[in-house]
Amino acid sequence: MTVDLADPALYARGDPHAVWRALRRADPVHWQPGTGGPGFWSVVRYEDVQRVLSDHTRFTSERGTLLNLLGRGDPAGGRQLAVTDPPRHDRMRAPLHRALKPRSVQAHTGVIRDGIRALLPGRDRPEFDLAAVCGLLPLTVLGPLLSLPEADRPHLVRLALMSAAEEDPAVQLPQGPAATLHRAHRELFAYFADLVRERRRRPRGDLVDVLLAMEVDGVRLTPGEVLSNCYSLLLGAGVTLAHVPTAAVAELSRDGGYEAWAADPGLLAGGVEEALRWASPAGHFMRHARHDTVLAGVPVAAGDAVVAWLGAANRDPAVFAGPDVFDPARSGNRHLAFGAGPHYCVGAGIARVTLRLFFAELFARYASLRLAGEPVRARSTFLSGYLQMPVRAGFRGRGKEQR
Amino acid sequence: MDGGALHEEFIARDELGMSGPYVEPRSETERRLAALWAQHLAVAPVGVEDDFFELGGDSLLAAEVQVAIDTEFGVEIEAAAVFLAPTVAALAEAVRRAPDTAGADG
Ligand code: HEM
Repeated sequence: MTVDLADPALYARGDPHAVWRALRRADPVHWQPGTGGPGFWSVVRYEDVQRVLSDHTRFTSERGTLLNLLGRGDPAGGRQLAVTDPPRHDRMRAPLHRALKPRSVQAHTGVIRDGIRALLPGRDRPEFDLAAVCGLLPLTVLGPLLSLPEADRPHLVRLALMSAAEEDPAVQLPQGPAATLHRAHRELFAYFADLVRERRRRPRGDLVDVLLAMEVDGVRLTPGEVLSNCYSLLLGAGVTLAHVPTAAVAELSRDGGYEAWAADPGLLAGGVEEALRWASPAGHFMRHARHDTVLAGVPVAAGDAVVAWLGAANRDPAVFAGPDVFDPARSGNRHLAFGAGPHYCVGAGIARVTLRLFFAELFARYASLRLAGEPVRARSTFLSGYLQMPVRAGFRGRGKEQR
Repeated sequence: MDGGALHEEFIARDELGMSGPYVEPRSETERRLAALWAQHLAVAPVGVEDDFFELGGDSLLAAEVQVAIDTEFGVEIEAAAVFLAPTVAALAEAVRRAPDTAGADG
């Protein structure tokens, strides 16, 4: 089967689910030869995706976890949480994990809810771009976590998008995708360098302070490591959260599913899990084989890249009954949208809280949401989601809206 | 500071295929900055018009360099100068402009 899983156009205009479905059946551990660089393996079945993401003894994260780093390595390897293997990984993760525990996060829910309320348009604006509205959602969460000034947030959203979807025409610089990545990366580092300097003077008890105080085996993080982890937190939330509501609305607005879900408050949490499965905003993560190994019967050589397609795993019929149906009442939904194993998303708890607050507000405010134009998907192998989604909202009665 | 950032073995600048010619430091500040870069990048010699990233630097290393410059010159150098299109010549300018933190000269 000839497919190009590294072609961002597949995710913007094609049907990746059809490609993954075919691969799951015919070629579940698929080799794609490189064009001018190294090739890579792809896994598309739930079981294989889970294994590749979890088994750090066979697959390392330290040579980069995104396809756009294939063949180039990652200078942050071993220094930034997401691209550091255990055991060092676990020591870096513990303090961040503690700071992101439900109890720690509870303090922020009021601010996050207010942020969401301010984002959602009112009666004076029944037609709007839901993707643009959701685009600011990550910063309503990261804002309080990293104490980011309100005025900086749109700029940060844009830089995060440039870092994750450098091929997309909406953000790509005239100098091309590589220049776009570099520019975004360096601007974010410069931004966080100023933020960290400020925080050293005046601690705020936020995640930046957690990184500044972090000691791994008795040694503080270097300045570069602190910035790299700030960058990773921004990206972790910045290019994922926004795409969960839009993916759900795109599907549900077609057939009355929105109204049905909105009508049953008991489905809020389960529906959010289904929306996460459906959206799978982080389309893939990559690993490299540490040594010669065998993956689902296929020999994989030491040093080979293996790309785990989360969106594919989350539609695997071996695990999800009727995988291509959005069912907010789905039970036993063990989706992999947050990954698996040691690198399981450290922000999953706060992401869930945020998405529940978001959908609750959405349902409270809008009785219906209909597409009012053609939505536009991101041109990216990594960021899976919509960058434009014109919708028309039907509002609830006054009483409910003013709650 | 990360002791690992200081290298014993230097790569010759000529081996990197740089896009521009080597330009020698012209002031004491430029000389000190070029030496500081050389140490962090393990490249020698460093020309004052060379781009940090073209010399093999990355953003993490740029962060270490920023702090090293602050310490060496007793200033707070603008982050933009260090991370966006950094050359020794531009940094020397930025060091001159930067507010003193320890009263050291440039
Ligand atoms: C819907 C929202 C989100 C999705 C779908 C998502 C997805 C993921 C996935 C799949 C991973 C695993 C990466 C791997 O295995 O290599 C991950 C890791 C990570 N995420 Fe998230 N994420 C979300 C929200 C967030 C938020 C809100 C934050 C920050 C507060 C965050 C920060 C991180 C970090 C720091 C890691 C690295 C964890 C580690 O290596 O131990 N993410 N995320």
